[in-house]
Formats: sequence, structure tokens, C-alpha cells
Amino acid sequence: MNAKEKISAASTFAAQYPELGTGPVGTDVYCDPAFYERELAAIFRRTWMCVGRVEQAPKPGDFFQKALPTFGYSVIVARAKDQKLRAFYNVCQHRGNHVELRQRGHCVGFTCPFHGWTYGLDGKLVGVPDASGFFDLDKSKLGLRQLALDVWEGFVFINMDPSPSQTLEEAMGEQGRDLVGYPFDSGTAVFEYEGTINCNWKSMIDSFCETYHVPVLHRHSVKDTLAGPDNPYGRLIDCRIKGPHRTQSVWGNMAYTPNPVQGLAWQNAPGPAVTSGVVDAAVKLPKGLNETRAKHWSLDVTVFFPNWIIVMGSGMYFTHQMWPLAANKVVWQMRGFLRPATNAAQRFGQENSMVELRDAVLEDCNTLERIQTAQDEGLITEMVYHDHEIALRHQYHVVKQWVEDFEKNQKKKGKGAR
Amino acid sequence: MPKSVRGTAPLLPKGFKMLEPLVADWVLPDSRARLEKRLTTPPATIRAFYDAMLDKAPKALSYLAERQLGELNEAEERLLKLLLSLAEMGPAVEWYGTGEYPDGFDARRFKLIEQMPDNAAQGARP
Repeated sequence: MNAKEKISAASTFAAQYPELGTGPVGTDVYCDPAFYERELAAIFRRTWMCVGRVEQAPKPGDFFQKALPTFGYSVIVARAKDQKLRAFYNVCQHRGNHVELRQRGHCVGFTCPFHGWTYGLDGKLVGVPDASGFFDLDKSKLGLRQLALDVWEGFVFINMDPSPSQTLEEAMGEQGRDLVGYPFDSGTAVFEYEGTINCNWKSMIDSFCETYHVPVLHRHSVKDTLAGPDNPYGRLIDCRIKGPHRTQSVWGNMAYTPNPVQGLAWQNAPGPAVTSGVVDAAVKLPKGLNETRAKHWSLDVTVFFPNWIIVMGSGMYFTHQMWPLAANKVVWQMRGFLRPATNAAQRFGQENSMVELRDAVLEDCNTLERIQTAQDEGLITEMVYHDHEIALRHQYHVVKQWVEDFEKNQKKKGKGAR
Repeated sequence: MPKSVRGTAPLLPKGFKMLEPLVADWVLPDSRARLEKRLTTPPATIRAFYDAMLDKAPKALSYLAERQLGELNEAEERLLKLLLSLAEMGPAVEWYGTGEYPDGFDARRFKLIEQMPDNAAQGARP
């Protein structure tokens, strides 16, 4: 790369997005338990949540479960004979037990292991043992409770609001449209990590959205791939804000020489690693991926509001999902989607990709917990953000706005009802 | 020499006999076991494994590049598993110089809730 080539086209992101301001931002939304409760009502109970991919239930009779740690329960996604995918709360309508204990499988229906009530793949109640002992039992009213379900690019989303304020398509918006066509279905070699981190769910999202910390916090690992002599402070190529969503295009050091094992892993992998700076020319990048078509590009981090992130390169991608348990506790899930190995040696490259990814995220976590303690104890009450931390500023504004708008609407509705 | 003369099948494919002393300690059941091995092995031992493996890794990878997951015999699967241990130990040596994380966050707090099987056919790319 020409050392004089500019890292990013924007003079400042602040000038591009003046509505976000440049002043300090309060920490209250990261540590106030009351605000957390408002977020649950205004955001988590009424936005679309990703629960899996269509490949997890390709045939009629296939199902999978997804636990929603924020709410403590899990949903079942099942494909019925009519080929339709449906989502149900995993709750028997007799007494509330789980009707399915397996995480995934194939079946003709669900049988509650408590008293043996059976449900079809379409959720209808089909069997009640010793039914004559019940009084006025109306089976048609006792089907599994269904949730709204829709699919974007093969990702299955649910919404626990019975009448969602937006369709999934509306919710994914311009950001969603701009990623259509990426070969998401090619990532069939899958792994998933889960951890409970003592920090606010938004802080964990923030940690994937700025690369200002890369040369310092990740000095042992990805410092020389996502930063380098031409970009010593890990500045972003671009930050694009589309409604409540945001995307960071991350710079890659094309002059980087991999470490010995890492180099062998990159040579023996089914697709380029996200940190390799190698772009697979066979993959047609959708408009919204490396949108500025920078040459020194490694990966994009796209946050779909509120809690779902896709990190994409040309040869692999992975997702992060945040499930808050409290203002200062979150369940984080990272699911990797690698291309399948075309020979046995590529299993080595896959393993190394997984391990390096995990190690890099591990480096973030002590910092997140220390920040949380400082915020909880009031030792920091405002944060001053660098221009390249604009995504953090954006999340703060979006979350606050979303909560306030929801509460205003609720008040209006309340008045209207009186 | 035919196998039957010695009475035991070779531990590793032909040409990789020098790696046989590593098999007992470094052929591990899965990704979870490999992380645990990394976290409980002294840095000098990890380094010795890394050095011994790195020398032969290009040859081993060329050998496995001619073969398919799910179709490996036991000796070939052991060779793959030695390489997978190298994939886990790589960053321990190349990034940290130690199996544990320098800043101390407990790697066991990340649960690998779904892992890629070591040796199973992964299907064609759609």
C-alpha cells in the first residue's frame, strides 16, 4: 500500500454525522438498573432477535431450540409438513413444562415429558392422555404459543411482540438490503462459544466496534494485522450509519507476514481468514461490504440493532449476540461460520481460525469487567469519545432514543384509551 | 516390515514415525480437550511440542491435503489430531509465550457449546 494513501475517505466521522455531536457521553445507560428495565420493555421484548439459520431445520420434521437467556426460556423452531418454519415457546399449555428437551432433532411432533400431551410440528395440540377427565377441554385453544418468525438471508428471526411494530424487512432496513447476496449459506462448518461477562450488553457491542484499542489491548495478537506502520492507531476505513444499525470497515495490514503456524493455517484453510487481509476474488462482495472498496480492507463489523453483530470477510464470517441478564451482566454468544473443508488438511486451518478468534475476544473481557466496575461505582460518569469511536456514540443515542420514543408512544396510547 | 511381524499397527502414517513420541500426550479427543491441555501445560513443554510439530507440519498437511475428512484411518486421524493440537498451541507460542492469557481472563469462562468434529465429512459447499 502507498503509505500516503489515506486510511479513510471521511475527514472526520463527526462531520459526516453531526447529529451525534462530539461532547462527552453519560455512563448512566450502561449501569443504571432502572434504565435496563426500560430497555427490556422498549427494545428486547419488541425487536427481531436472530435465533438460528434455515440450514438447522432443512426438512419437514426438523427442529432446533434456542435459549433466550435474557428471558430464561427457550423457543423451538420447527419445519412442518407444509414446509413452513414456525417458532413456539417451549411451554406445554397444560402446566408449563418444556415439551422438547433436545437441542435439535427430527420428529413428527412434540410430547411433553410431564403428562404426555402431544403437539404437531405446526403447534396444534393433537393428543391429551385420559382426555375425558378434563372439563370443557378445547384443544383448538391449547396449541403451543407461537411467536412471529421471519427469515433474512437464511437467518431465522423471532419477535416476542405478538404484533411487531416493524416487519423484519423494515427492521433490517437499508443495512440489511446492502448485505443481500453475501454467501451466508456457504458457512456450514459451525462452532459456537458462549460466556457470561460482568458488563453491560452495549459495552460488549462497543468492544467490537472500535479499533482504536487494537494496537494496545491486542498488542499480543491482532495488532500487526488490523493495525500496522501505515495505520499505527488502528483507524477505521469507514463507519456507516444506516438507521439504528452501524458498520465499521476495518483496515488490514497487507504487508503483514504471518507467524509460522498461522501461515500454515492460512495456506490450509477453506477460505481466507478474516485477519489475513486476503480477499477471495471469487466472492462477489455485496454493496454494503467494504462499501468504499478500499484495497487495504480486512473485515466489516456490522451491528444490527439491538444485539446482533455480523463480522464478515470474503472467506468466512461470524456473529456475536448479546443477551443481557442485568445492567451489568451479559451472556455473549459467538457463532463462527466457516466454509466446509475440501480436504483433511483444511480442518487445521479451521481450528486455528477458531482459536485465534476466541483468543482475541478473551483479551477484551477483563477490560469490559473493569469498565463496568468503574461505572457501577461512579468512578467514571462520562466518556469522551475519539472520532473513530463514533459507533459507540451512535449506539448510545439510538438506545436512548428508542427507549424514549417507546415510552412516549405508550403514554399517548394510555391517554387515547382513557 | 509387515505389520503382523511386529504385532502392532503403526501409530502414524509412514514417514511420520519421528512424531510418534508426541501421540500419547497430544492426540486429544476434541477442541475442548485441546484448550484444557494448553491451559494446564507449562510454556516450555508447549514450546517443545510446537517446535517438534512445526518441523513436520508442512509435510503432514501435504499428506492430509490428499485425503478427506471422514475417510481417514486411525493413524491418519492421529496425525490430524496432532496438527489440531498445533493449531491450538500456535497462538500460545506465537502470541503469548504462555498457555494462559497474559491479562488473566479465565479462558474456561468461554464455553465451546458447539464444536466442529475433528474427523467427519463436512459436506459440499452449497
